[in-house]
Amino acid sequence: MCCSHNITEKDLQPNTSDKSYLDRIRGMQFFDPHIHMVSRTTDDYEAMADAGIVAIIEPAFWVGQPRTGVDTFRDYYSSLIGWERFRSSQFGIKHYCTIGLNSREANNEALAEQVMEILPLFIYKEGVVGVGEIGFDDQTAAEEKYYRLQLELAKEAGLPVQIHTPHRDKKRGTTRSMDIALEHGLDPAMVIVDHNNEETMKEVLDRGFWAAFTIYPFTKMGNERMADIVKQLGTERIMVNSAADWGISDPLAVPKTAALMKDMGISDEDIRMVTYQNAITAFAQSGQIDEADFAAVKDIDQSLKFGKNTVLRGGQQPRTDKSSIIIR
Amino acid sequence: MLTYQAEALRDLFTAVVRQNVSPEVWKWLSEKVTPAGDTRQFNIAFVSAPRKTGKAVVQVTKEQDAAIREAGAGLNITTWTTDRLCRIWLLFSLDHTDREKYFQTIEQLFLTAEVNELVALYSALAVLPYPEMWVKRCAEGIRSSIGAALGSVACNNPYPAAYLDEQAWNQLVLKAIFTDTPLNEIIGLNERSNADLAITLSDYAHERWAAHRFLNPLVWRCVGKFINAAIFPDIERLNASPEDYNREAAALACYDSGYLPAQELLNKNPNMKSSIASGQLSWETLAEKMKNYVLQS
Repeated sequence: MCCSHNITEKDLQPNTSDKSYLDRIRGMQFFDPHIHMVSRTTDDYEAMADAGIVAIIEPAFWVGQPRTGVDTFRDYYSSLIGWERFRSSQFGIKHYCTIGLNSREANNEALAEQVMEILPLFIYKEGVVGVGEIGFDDQTAAEEKYYRLQLELAKEAGLPVQIHTPHRDKKRGTTRSMDIALEHGLDPAMVIVDHNNEETMKEVLDRGFWAAFTIYPFTKMGNERMADIVKQLGTERIMVNSAADWGISDPLAVPKTAALMKDMGISDEDIRMVTYQNAITAFAQSGQIDEADFAAVKDIDQSLKFGKNTVLRGGQQPRTDKSSIIIR
Repeated sequence: MLTYQAEALRDLFTAVVRQNVSPEVWKWLSEKVTPAGDTRQFNIAFVSAPRKTGKAVVQVTKEQDAAIREAGAGLNITTWTTDRLCRIWLLFSLDHTDREKYFQTIEQLFLTAEVNELVALYSALAVLPYPEMWVKRCAEGIRSSIGAALGSVACNNPYPAAYLDEQAWNQLVLKAIFTDTPLNEIIGLNERSNADLAITLSDYAHERWAAHRFLNPLVWRCVGKFINAAIFPDIERLNASPEDYNREAAALACYDSGYLPAQELLNKNPNMKSSIASGQLSWETLAEKMKNYVLQS
């Protein structure tokens, strides 16, 4: 979202792009369990597919501009299960989402009440793999109220919960989020605590929750630190995501982290656990994830060929040559 | 207007649903549509149906398939999944004595639908009570750019041909062309073709040719009956094309036409004419050929 260090002239120069890391992770499959694709472009989708990302989860979040009516919430939720799901399928990536009222907008109580009323219409939908991202931002009373109500909703629907932990006063906010979840009788195995760092991870794992780490420049985790954590703690209940959104973030954070872990001597199996399998195991508790769908969404019929080309069905988008100055 | 038998379809669908779900699921479905049931329970049933019914492709007997095609003006449900058919059953079985309440309930489902729900909702149009009430909703479905949603309105659905006015119908055909939706799966394509659509398609062909882009030869299926002095040069151009699929489309369009120069053009190609007469060449065989063709648009 923002840079907290001093910017020099060097920081503003365009970087050269070296994509050789893609060769080192070729053939690996990735699952990014937290990414906000409504804020991303078709170029991102193409690059993600090329890097081996086969499926993603898009949590409902704050879109930057505060919403002023329940209808815009409804349309946003509808876009997560409708338009964005379709857009993703055009690039052969299976799209899931979590649905919830984010902590920031929980502070608009009049609106929050109306949003709570429409949430049950959405959380039972196919491909909705949890209630999220919910939790604390400023840690106000209103945030707590709607966090608690949504925990009850998740419990009733038998869905996992994806918890956003606050930027400010993070450590205590994380502890408090877990205390409240337990107080409402949630099984920690059904709760994914997100945006962890070295200071929060031990308590999260010790108490039986899933620990997600967001690789996000400047404000959250870096992936060298991430590799060190896996070396130190192993892979159990640990997952990596990008949380890429409208800020300076990286939709390729998961495959890049996999490549870096490989360079740092972490085994392929351990990499697979934290960049693919653990997230699937956690969110598949919703009953809404079938790994066979990752291949089905590509919908490539190898038996149908014209000339030397495989025929793509299901509305996949043809590639354009981006290096060409000619646009046809 | 192309017609279909909504009441007969509802009975046939009910029979297919019953033989594709367990007695427990049938009971669960039936309880959700009673006059006493509340809307919240109905909504949750519609949304969560796949969890109860599974998503296997429905088993349909040959006789049922034939009866559904007969009552549905060609409707084919043999590729539908159980959850889709059960959702459709819920929609038409819901108590609808209060017309306005029924409309609001269904409308709310449209407004909050994910992709598979949209597919079920749009494929239900032909069997919903108060058919004339859904014309605007049908036209809205045609504006969708979600492939599966648009496909469920435009293809294999007898409702649009029966209820849309000419302007909305022509939009359906144009949208299908622009999105590479299979034209031969549109129910009523021949019956609803019209002079206005033919002119639009001729203009469209000129744009594609100017841009050096691929033109789907199946568009000429809607033009044949309306060939006149203005459109005939397009057919001559097609007939001179190096691509066999274009020449076949030209011959098929001439075969459909009562315009004398078009008939004379076809007479110059007796081989093509006789294979059309024998059924060896038809719009269906051309559609089959194009299915295997990579559309370069």
